[in-house]
Amino acid sequence: MDPREAFRIAARSIRAHRLRSGLTVVGMVIGIASVVAFATFGASVQAAVIGDIGETNANNVFVTPASVDDDSPGGAELAATRPVFTAIDVDRLREQPGVEAVIPQGVIGLSSATYGSDTIAQRQATATVSETFTDANTVAGRGFESGAEEAVLNEAAARSFERNVTVGSTLRLTLASGETRNVTVVGIVSGTRGGFLSGFGDATPRIFLPVDPFYTTVVESPSVGADVQVYPQLTVIATPDAVPAVKDRTEAYLTGDSDATRLLGEGVEIRVQTSGDAVGAIQDVISQITRFVTGIAVISLVVAAIGIANITLVSVTERTKEIGIMKSVGATNRDTMQLFLTESVLLGTTGAVLGVPVGLAVAWGAARFADVALTLAVDWMVFAVVVGVGVGIVAGLYPAWRAARVDPIDALRYE
Amino acid sequence: MPGPAGADSPDADSLVALDGVTKTYQLGGTVTALDDVSASLDAGSYTAVMGPSGSGKSTLLNLVGGLDTADTGTVRVDGVDLGRVSETRRAEKRGTAIGFVFQTFNLMPRLTAVENVALPLVFDGWPQEKRLDRARDVLDDVGLGDRYDHKPAELSGGQRQRVAIARALAPDPSLLLADEPTGNVDTDTGAAIMRLLAEIHERGNTILLVTHARRIAEHAERIVHVRDGRIERVEAVERRRPYDGDDRDGGGPDARTGTGDGGTEDTDTHDGGDTDGHDGGDTDGAPANDPGAGADGSA
Repeated sequence: MDPREAFRIAARSIRAHRLRSGLTVVGMVIGIASVVAFATFGASVQAAVIGDIGETNANNVFVTPASVDDDSPGGAELAATRPVFTAIDVDRLREQPGVEAVIPQGVIGLSSATYGSDTIAQRQATATVSETFTDANTVAGRGFESGAEEAVLNEAAARSFERNVTVGSTLRLTLASGETRNVTVVGIVSGTRGGFLSGFGDATPRIFLPVDPFYTTVVESPSVGADVQVYPQLTVIATPDAVPAVKDRTEAYLTGDSDATRLLGEGVEIRVQTSGDAVGAIQDVISQITRFVTGIAVISLVVAAIGIANITLVSVTERTKEIGIMKSVGATNRDTMQLFLTESVLLGTTGAVLGVPVGLAVAWGAARFADVALTLAVDWMVFAVVVGVGVGIVAGLYPAWRAARVDPIDALRYE
Repeated sequence: MPGPAGADSPDADSLVALDGVTKTYQLGGTVTALDDVSASLDAGSYTAVMGPSGSGKSTLLNLVGGLDTADTGTVRVDGVDLGRVSETRRAEKRGTAIGFVFQTFNLMPRLTAVENVALPLVFDGWPQEKRLDRARDVLDDVGLGDRYDHKPAELSGGQRQRVAIARALAPDPSLLLADEPTGNVDTDTGAAIMRLLAEIHERGNTILLVTHARRIAEHAERIVHVRDGRIERVEAVERRRPYDGDDRDGGGPDARTGTGDGGTEDTDTHDGGDTDGHDGGDTDGAPANDPGAGADGSA
């Protein structure tokens, strides 16, 4: 029969059971919406993270110590607190061809930071060099100068105090040793070059101080025999066309005749990663999480599918007599099947069509809450709609087949 | 060959031809509903099949209507051997060549009168406007020109049966099958329904009527008596109803059917005895029928 007729008749019987059809559609909407919401939110977070890293850390080669048996970026960050790269290594890497800058980063233990009369707890500051700051990531002021009692704050740190810290303000830092130092804030930055994944975590307050005079972690350099500063991580910034070559050379140097190799303890190796590697690793983790959570949402879709199957089955039983009537006036088995399938597909499609915007709305809210830009997961949206229609077909198939098999004589006698 | 001459001579030119039809059901044991039955219906004829419950008359109707198929023998309608074509083809035949009128009306409760009448045309692929026009025409013909948009629940029993008759006539079938068409309406309404069928017959339609009541069967040109799955005899009706002076059939206009059907709708779907309370005197005139009535509802 004409699909438009089937559609009309199916729509009519759906309308006739408003509450029941409505609840079925609600189940479907929840299923589809949760898939879309989780997938969209996951994609948004991923895009935000990758965008940050990509923007600020292009051409970066990250060098960190990492546990031999730990393959995840998070593990690398934990192992990254071990200082092994000496100032000698930094100088030698800087001399390599294709290297624009080498940015060492170390940790300065703090206990608090005071601005005016307002004191906040701040566990650490990052010791680094002025190459960390570029025009692109400096929001206000300038980078600090080596040897000066100056500091650069990220925006989150500037906002941490009751009154916003501005360029020219003076902060009093209490070091972990108890000593206090006054520093002049010379710049506010948003993201920095150097440091493993420094772009990620812009929401954490960070204070940057010049290595000279603040960084006092030293070790006896195995190569020169004198005490030199030693850092837990380096970032080698390559010229744009030399990233892979610089990565290889950096790896070759550090695993060869470097201080780092000799200072490295048991079970720790040096990991050299380009920003592309890091992005890939993060992407993997986020998409794994997204897939896992979306997979859970798929369960609710399955529940919704069972709901549709159930309703259609009830509908077939309830309308046995109508099926008999239709058959007696010329409905073929195919017509009957088509009618019931149309009905379940209509329910599934309605659920999908309503579920996608609902899911997007939820994802939008979550993205706003998490302060990331909304990125549409178009493939998952298509998936959700296709699944909605598919669920309608699959869930309706058995009931429709039952309807088609109804014996008209029995059906007409059915009350 | 069982049954007297006239009923057992299948004729290729007849509209309906049954030849050696046997039908059994498995209901705990084997029940033979029809046993080697042969009969034929000429185009334009009006035949009543009469018999008690369980006599096989409903089975006969279902076979002729293509709702069921015979175990052995052939059932030809309009030149088509219903037992040999596909279920799809049979369904199409039901929708175009055969019109069914049931005792319990069997209207779609959510559809209006017009939509109910147009239903067979939906499955026959008519465009919407055309089939609704046709449905209105047929409803006018059966005297329901003012009830197009009423749903079955808003109609009286007699009106419902008229809608059902209109639905059966909508595809302009070559054969109209009526299964106890007056079984669920009161006597006056039943009389009006029978008059409508008579009119339809006079317009040239072929009607096969199944009933257990002689009073109803006498509207036909001939009565085929069925008993225990066999044709007992074929009787030509000499004095056909509605005859002048009949106290019940002589009543008011057809439209006056809206009363007294409230209690009859849900009474009984068996073939036996539900109208008899009204007019016990003139049912089941065939003497052989009474002992079997209501004894077995399995057919």
